[in-house]
Amino acid sequence: MSSRIYLLLTLGFYAVGALNVLLQAVARRRLLTTWTVTAALAGFAMHTASLSQRWTEAGHFPIVGFHDGASFLAWATVLAFLATYVQARVDALGLAVYPAAFVLVLVAVLTPVSEREDPILRSLYLPIHTTLALIGYGALFVAFAMGVMYLIQERELRSRSPRAFYYLAPSLERCDTLGGHSVEVGFVFLTLAILTGLMWNLSRGAIWTGTPKEWSASLAWLIYVVMLVARRRSGWGGRRAALLGIAGFVIVVFTFFSLSLARSARGGA
Amino acid sequence: MTLVVVGVSHRTAPLDVREALAFPRERISEALARARAEAGLEEAMILSTCNRVEVYGRAAEGAPADAVARFLEGYHGRAAGDLGPYVYAVSGEAAVRHAFRVAASLDSMVIGEPQILGQVKEAYEIAEEAKSLGASLGALRNRSLSAAKRARSETRIGQNAVSVSSVAVELARKIFGSLKDRSVLLVGAGKMSELSARHLVSGGARATVLGGRTFEKAEELAAALGGQAAPFEALQAELAKADVVISSTGAPHTVIHKEDVAAAVRARRRPLFLIDIAVPRDVEPDVRELANVFLYDLDDLKAVADANLRERKKEAASAEAIVESEVRAFLEWQKSLDVAPLLADLRQRAEAIRRAELERARKRLGPLTAEQESAIDAATSAIVNKLLHPPTAHLKEVAKNGSAPDVVELVRRLFGL
Repeated sequence: MSSRIYLLLTLGFYAVGALNVLLQAVARRRLLTTWTVTAALAGFAMHTASLSQRWTEAGHFPIVGFHDGASFLAWATVLAFLATYVQARVDALGLAVYPAAFVLVLVAVLTPVSEREDPILRSLYLPIHTTLALIGYGALFVAFAMGVMYLIQERELRSRSPRAFYYLAPSLERCDTLGGHSVEVGFVFLTLAILTGLMWNLSRGAIWTGTPKEWSASLAWLIYVVMLVARRRSGWGGRRAALLGIAGFVIVVFTFFSLSLARSARGGA
Repeated sequence: MTLVVVGVSHRTAPLDVREALAFPRERISEALARARAEAGLEEAMILSTCNRVEVYGRAAEGAPADAVARFLEGYHGRAAGDLGPYVYAVSGEAAVRHAFRVAASLDSMVIGEPQILGQVKEAYEIAEEAKSLGASLGALRNRSLSAAKRARSETRIGQNAVSVSSVAVELARKIFGSLKDRSVLLVGAGKMSELSARHLVSGGARATVLGGRTFEKAEELAAALGGQAAPFEALQAELAKADVVISSTGAPHTVIHKEDVAAAVRARRRPLFLIDIAVPRDVEPDVRELANVFLYDLDDLKAVADANLRERKKEAASAEAIVESEVRAFLEWQKSLDVAPLLADLRQRAEAIRRAELERARKRLGPLTAEQESAIDAATSAIVNKLLHPPTAHLKEVAKNGSAPDVVELVRRLFGL
C-alpha cells in the first residue's frame, strides 16, 4: 500500500478518536474509552507505516515540506500522548490531542507531497535532528495542553461556578506537575535537536546562519531554561509556569513551520 | 403472584408523619409478623428510613394494598383512613419498578445518595431473619440491588459532592490533587468545619486548630482530628504554612484580612484555599482578588453543590434507562415463572391430543349413536383430567409459596411445552 492510503486510514482512526472524545465530553462521561485508546493505537500504527512507506517512496527521511511536517508533527504528538497515558493516564489530555492529531493529518492529506531533491536531504543529520526535534515538540505540546487546562480550570475555580472543565480536567496540582515533567522531557530533546542542528550547520560551513528558525528556537530554549531553573530553585509553578509553557510552545510551533513555510515560499525549492 | 408496595415518603408526607410511622429496627421482626397476619401477606419486608416508610409484600391472591395501609395505620395507633392523603400504593409491574428505583436512589431526596442501597439491603436482611422473605421478594431483592449497583457504576449519578462539607473537600482535591500531607488550618471550632476537616484528614491532611477564648474547645477538636491546637495570635504564621483554611468563628467582624493573606501567599508558591463558612463572614471578600488564592464562602459552596446536583439529575436519565431495562428483564423472567400460563398450556396441549385421537377413532368406528358419542367423549375427558389433576394441584400449591423456577421449568420440559 502507498503511504497515502496508510495516511487516509490514520485519518479515519484519529477521526473516530476525536469524535468519541468530544461526544464523551459533552455527555460528561469518562473521556477515554476502550474505543478511543484503540483508535489512538491503531492510528499510530497506521501512521508509522505511512511514514516509513513515505521514506521508501521519497528516498530520503520524510520531513520535507508542509505535508511531511504536519504528518510527522501529528505522529510525535500522539507518541507523546501515548507515553503520557502509560505514565500518568490524564484523560483530559485526549481532548487536546485527538483533535490536534486529526487536524494535522488532515492538513497532510490535503497538501501535496514535496518533490524536492537536494543533496542535503541525504545527510544523516536530517533524520537525527528532525526526530529529536519532533519528539521534543510532542512533549512540549503536552506541556502546552496542560498549561491551557490549568488556566481554564483555575478560571473556573476562581469564578466559583463549575462549568465543563470542573468535571473533566484533572486537579490544578496535576496539571502543574505533569506540565513540568513534560517540559523537562521536551527540553532535553529540544536541546539535543538544537545541538545537532548547529552541528549540521557547521558541517555545511557556518555554525550560525541567522535564520528566523535559529533565533526562535533559541528563544524557546531560553524560555524553557528560565522555567526549569525557577521550578527547581523555588518550586515556582502554577499560573506563571502555565503561561510560560504556552508561550514557549507557540514559539516552538513558529520554529517548526518557519522552515517549511520558507521552503514553500521559495517554491518548494 | 402480585407484589405490592404501600407506604409514605418525602414525596407524599411531611417529616412529622414519616416520623410517626417509622419502625425502630428492633421491632421490625414483630411488625412483619403482624403485617403478614393482618394484611394476608405471604411475604413481607419493611423499609424504614428517615425519608420513607414502606411495606413490600406479596399476597397469595390479589393485591391487598388497602389491607396493608390499614395495618400501617393500626400498628401506629391511627384510625383507619387516617393516612389517606399521604399513603401511596402500587402493585404488580408498578411495584417492581418502584422497588428498583428506590434501591437505585432515583426516588431519593438527594438523587444518587449512597445510603439508601445499604438501608434497602438491611431491610431485606431483617425480613430474611424474620423468615418473611420468600422466593418472590428474594428475587426482587437480588435483581433490584444488582440493578442499583449497575446504575451507580455505569452512570455518574453518585458522583460530585452535593453537600456543603463534601463540596469543600471536592474543591480542595480540584486544587491540590492529593490531600496527603497538606495542612488544614481551622479557625474556630464549628460543627461544619469539623465535618469538612474530618474528610480532609481522612484523605491524609494534617490539621491545626486555632482557638481564642475557648482554647479547650480547640484542643479537644485538634485531638479528635489527630492534629494540634494553637492560640489565635499565631494566625499569621499558620496562614503561611496552610494549604486549606476553614474559618468558622462566631466573630461579628472579619478576622482574616487581605494583607494577612497577601503576606501568607507571598511567602510561598503553592495556592491557598480559603473556605469561609461563618455567617457573618470571617474573611474579607476582596481576598479573592489575590493571585493563587481561592476563596469560597457558604453561598459559593452551595452554588457548587447545586451545580453538582444538576449534573446528577442529568445523569439520572441514563440511570433511569438502565433501571427500566432491568425492570423489563425482571418482569419478563417473572412471567416465565408464572404458573397460570403453564397450566393453560398444559390443559390446551392435553385437550388437543384428546381431540385428535378422538377424530382418528371416529374415522375407524364409523357413525356412532349420540349415546356412544357422549360416552367416549366423557371417557377421554376423564382420562385427561385424572392425569392432569395431581400436577395441576401441585403447581397451584407451588404458586402459593411464590414462584419455583425449577418446577415450572421441569414441567415444561416433561410435557414438551
